[in-house]
Amino acid sequence: MTEFNQLSFLIISAFTIASALCVVLFKNLIYSALSMIGSFLGVAGIYILLHAELVAAAQVLIYVGAISVLVIFAIMLTGHRTGDINVFFHKQAWIAAPVCAVAAAALIAVMATAEFNSSSNSQNPSDENIATMLFNEYSFPFELVSLVLLVAVIGAVLLAKKEKN
Amino acid sequence: MSPLQQYLILAVILFFIGAWGVLARRNIIMVIMCVELMFNAINVALVAFSNYSTTGAGRGEVFVFVIFALAAAEAAIGLAIAIAMYRLKQNLSVDDLDELRG
Repeated sequence: MTEFNQLSFLIISAFTIASALCVVLFKNLIYSALSMIGSFLGVAGIYILLHAELVAAAQVLIYVGAISVLVIFAIMLTGHRTGDINVFFHKQAWIAAPVCAVAAAALIAVMATAEFNSSSNSQNPSDENIATMLFNEYSFPFELVSLVLLVAVIGAVLLAKKEKN
Repeated sequence: MSPLQQYLILAVILFFIGAWGVLARRNIIMVIMCVELMFNAINVALVAFSNYSTTGAGRGEVFVFVIFALAAAEAAIGLAIAIAMYRLKQNLSVDDLDELRG
């Protein structure tokens, strides 16, 4: 990792973490959704730093393009643009924060001290390699995912449909 | 600290911000958004492992594409449930979903 990459990693990850925190902390759902888009874009930047340009493009298309729009549509349809203050935090929020902090600290300590059998410099597999793997070695999961998507589409239509009576 | 570890620590932080949101917020749409954040953290870890692995570079990226599709399906179903719930209860608080409570 060169000096420049280190700097851009720090900037992008700070941006990503800050907007992820904003998602949790904003009272207004629309603001949360907008900072979620910021966080998704930051993660796309991380993918580009990792030389995974194909994944970054898919992230922008699927997360920033599709899922965010879906979330914003749901917020608009339910009309909860300004979440009430009493619908803000759970009763267990003040227990959840330290629990998550302790678990995160434990995992970070493990990650920082672990010896990974990793190559020192990032390898960049070509998009061709990834496509070959996806359609040869992993063609069964690929087909299974298409089935899951079909079921999800039918289920979403059935759930969101108005009932007759 | 190696670059791989830096990416993994970023993934851990993102994952637990999402987990905190899932545990702490009461709005069901908010919970879905935080689950998406957790998916993103997992994907960062997978791509990092994939690109710094000594064998089989790029294998993790294949998994990431599968996870993308599953995350999209999850979001579609979750938001459909949110809309159905709003129609039924005029409310989005997860505390109100307690019909199965004994």
